[in-house]
Amino acid sequence: MKVETKVGLLALVSLIMVAAFAYAMGFIAPFSNTKELNVMFNFAGGIEEGSPVRVMGIKVGKVKSITFDPEHKMADGEEVKLRLTITIDKKAWTSVRKDSKFYINLAGVIGEKFLEISPGNAAAGEFANGDYVRGEDPPRIDQLLSQGYGLAGKVIEILEKNEGSVTNTIKQLDALTTNFNRTLVLLDKTTKNREVSRLLDNAVKISDDMAYFTTNLRSKKAEDTYDLVHKLLFRLEPMDAPAIKKFLQEEGVRARIF
Amino acid sequence: MMTLLADTFWGTFTGPFRRKEFFQQLYFVANRSLFIIVFCVCFAAVVTILESSFHMKMVIQNDAMVPGFAAVLILRELAAIVTALLLCSRVGAGYASEVGTMQITEQIDALKMLGIDPINYLVIPRFFACVLGGILLTVVSNMTCLFAAMMISQAYLGYTPGMFISSMHRFVQFKDVLFAVIKGACFGGVIPLVACYFGFNCQQGAEGVGKATTNTVVVASIAIIVIDFILSYTFSYLY
Repeated sequence: MKVETKVGLLALVSLIMVAAFAYAMGFIAPFSNTKELNVMFNFAGGIEEGSPVRVMGIKVGKVKSITFDPEHKMADGEEVKLRLTITIDKKAWTSVRKDSKFYINLAGVIGEKFLEISPGNAAAGEFANGDYVRGEDPPRIDQLLSQGYGLAGKVIEILEKNEGSVTNTIKQLDALTTNFNRTLVLLDKTTKNREVSRLLDNAVKISDDMAYFTTNLRSKKAEDTYDLVHKLLFRLEPMDAPAIKKFLQEEGVRARIF
Repeated sequence: MMTLLADTFWGTFTGPFRRKEFFQQLYFVANRSLFIIVFCVCFAAVVTILESSFHMKMVIQNDAMVPGFAAVLILRELAAIVTALLLCSRVGAGYASEVGTMQITEQIDALKMLGIDPINYLVIPRFFACVLGGILLTVVSNMTCLFAAMMISQAYLGYTPGMFISSMHRFVQFKDVLFAVIKGACFGGVIPLVACYFGFNCQQGAEGVGKATTNTVVVASIAIIVIDFILSYTFSYLY
């Protein structure tokens, strides 16, 4: 093999290696099968070009570019100045609907930032390629810290101003806890008292007797007795008091009885 | 040295281009050095990724980001500098002894007598061969380095190639490869210039050739490291 051929082969191999590397890393995409969306934010919170785009946790694209667009206004008139152009694979494109939400999310504690798309309802229409959509601005940790710092300052101020009353309240709480503990000790002693124990035993016996009694009441015999009493009462009801009195005071009845 | 550099650049535009000599030198620089460079950078990559993992585990008890930043380290620094230093040892020493021997045996004077410009005849083909060879070898060593890192991270750290590439996505840019290629070209260009300079100024005798060879390796290695710093510093403004 000629020297030129060997050198040419090496050059070809290195070119192929670079091309393969660029394709694997997504720097070149000759067989691209993606569509684009412009997601507008007012705060991007650390997302960068090349950050992944995920739908339902699966990577389906990446952030292609981040640009400032100071003149841009959304359809409702809101000024949103940061444009993230994202690419989404065509296979996932149908899952992204007009009511989808676009969040900037963080993978793990020190993980990377990525753009999460919550899939929308099938009833909402699909986006067209290159549409503009409003993203959900991520919470600003610096603002939260600043607010927390202010809150802590106020708490300290309140404590300093009411130092006497706070000390008093703590003392009273302490006394209350001591009393409560004493009460608990007394209660404990009481439950161990013999009289109480006997009382409880009796209560158990009574409840046993009651159980026996009520069991008997549920028997067939008891039901028959109840029916008979009911019938008797039904018969006695139309009889008024003077009639019963007259009947009982009649001589005939007396003579028959005695 | 500066005169030699200026003459080389001037000769690039004026003199005849010696194609056959250029290909011979490119073959000597690139193809003949390929195996040793690939072999060495693979081991360097293995050490890099294992050490990175060890240190990350020591600091944050997690080495999830190691493939990504080890890949950046390999692309930006390691592969290019290891390749250049190996080239310096092999090619630089070879050129210095070759040109030095020609100098002490008065072959260079003979060339001049024949009306052949020694710079055009000796330096320019070697310069271009080393520049192109540096580029090709840097690309190949970068890619094999990454491949070796990927293999070793799968074998010892438990990261699959997919996880490795995914982690690389977060850190690696195409600029890294581009800057590595520029570094390779610059390092490659330094080696023949230093070697030919010491070769042309070689003292008489075997001792002179030995000294020229030693000086070439020392000066070229220092020059490579200094140029690496300058280029890294310059590129840091371009990220």
